[in-house]
Amino acid sequence: MLRPTWTKGYKIREPVPIKWVLVPGPLPLHMDCREFQENHFAFIDDTLSGIELVGMQRHIAECENCAKHDVTVRRSLLLFRNLPRIEPSAQFSERLNDRLRALRESETSSAFHHSGKFAAAVAVASVVMLGYIGSSLRDVDTPRDIVFPPVVANTPELEAVPLTMPAPALVASAAAGLPIWTAALYAERQPLHFVTADLQLAGSH
Amino acid sequence: MRSIARKQEAPNQGSSVRERLRAMDDSAVVTAFLGGEERAFSELVERYQTRLLNFIYRTIGDREKAEDLVQEVFIRVYRHLHRFDRSKKFSTWAYTIASNLAKNELRNRSRNPLVLMQTVQKNWQDDDRPLQFEDTTSRPDDMYRKRHLREIVEESVAKLPEHHRHVFVLRELEGKSYEEIAEITDCNLGTVKSRLNRARNSFAEIVAPYMD
Repeated sequence: MLRPTWTKGYKIREPVPIKWVLVPGPLPLHMDCREFQENHFAFIDDTLSGIELVGMQRHIAECENCAKHDVTVRRSLLLFRNLPRIEPSAQFSERLNDRLRALRESETSSAFHHSGKFAAAVAVASVVMLGYIGSSLRDVDTPRDIVFPPVVANTPELEAVPLTMPAPALVASAAAGLPIWTAALYAERQPLHFVTADLQLAGSH
Repeated sequence: MRSIARKQEAPNQGSSVRERLRAMDDSAVVTAFLGGEERAFSELVERYQTRLLNFIYRTIGDREKAEDLVQEVFIRVYRHLHRFDRSKKFSTWAYTIASNLAKNELRNRSRNPLVLMQTVQKNWQDDDRPLQFEDTTSRPDDMYRKRHLREIVEESVAKLPEHHRHVFVLRELEGKSYEEIAEITDCNLGTVKSRLNRARNSFAEIVAPYMD
């Protein structure tokens, strides 16, 4: 039975009762040699899960050949890991710096070369543009005679108004008592209208 | 007076920049270099030159060529750093370049067997190498045995198939994770694990008779 623990007057949280978890599948009690070999790299690198690790350890305890293989691999790896590490030669840095300097110079010169080409292209384009603008301006400044299409002038034909229809201006002037000058104007042009009206009547007959 | 003070400050400023770079992680150093700090590149070289040299040396087995290839790695890093995806690890990228160069070198050699033989003989007959595997207080016969064992180990690595050796060196010498190795060698994780397992077994088999 779990009871609360008391330490110097403070109550410590009750320990959680252990829950037994059922692992799906059988426990790796008997691992065969093939399975051991397949997982051996992870066993050496210590990347196996707890249950797999127990299985591997149990297999080593039971299988002499696999245990021997495990020791051999571990010892050989230790030998390899302890091989002396070589250091770069004394000229290494100097050589690398020379190569980097040469690389930087070539990059700079190529950048300059490219920028030179670009500048030349811009210059040529500018000259062409200026030439075009100049020629356009010269055309604008040159005085040129404006040629219009020929105008054919002729006398408009007089409108023929029949005698039976008095001009609206005359009618309006008479009814409203407006000054007589419109009527006078009409009277001045009347003979012409009479002639036209006679001609139209003769034509219709 | 001020100019003298400034001149005295200049070297201090340089050393403080170097100290600051040394305290940064790779990503920050790369950012500093791309931001125009040329000294950041020296910091990257300092961090990786020995590691890359050992990786390439253990892969191709030729020290001089390994140095040339490490130089080539740094030249490529310098030229293409602006295109490096900074969401990834710089070390993985650098090792990928080194790995590709080493693979190319081995491919070129396999096309020219004479060069391969000359290189192997040169390395085997080189007696000027430092005896770092030995303890100088040991007896001469012990020293001989240990030197012999070191040569056996080196030869055994060289005997591994190329793709196994790559994975083996990256894991055992450089301590790379499986995921990083997969990225560097452009293989999937399963292939990396399987190659590593086979490489370890083969290596142990070759070395085992000399260990007892």
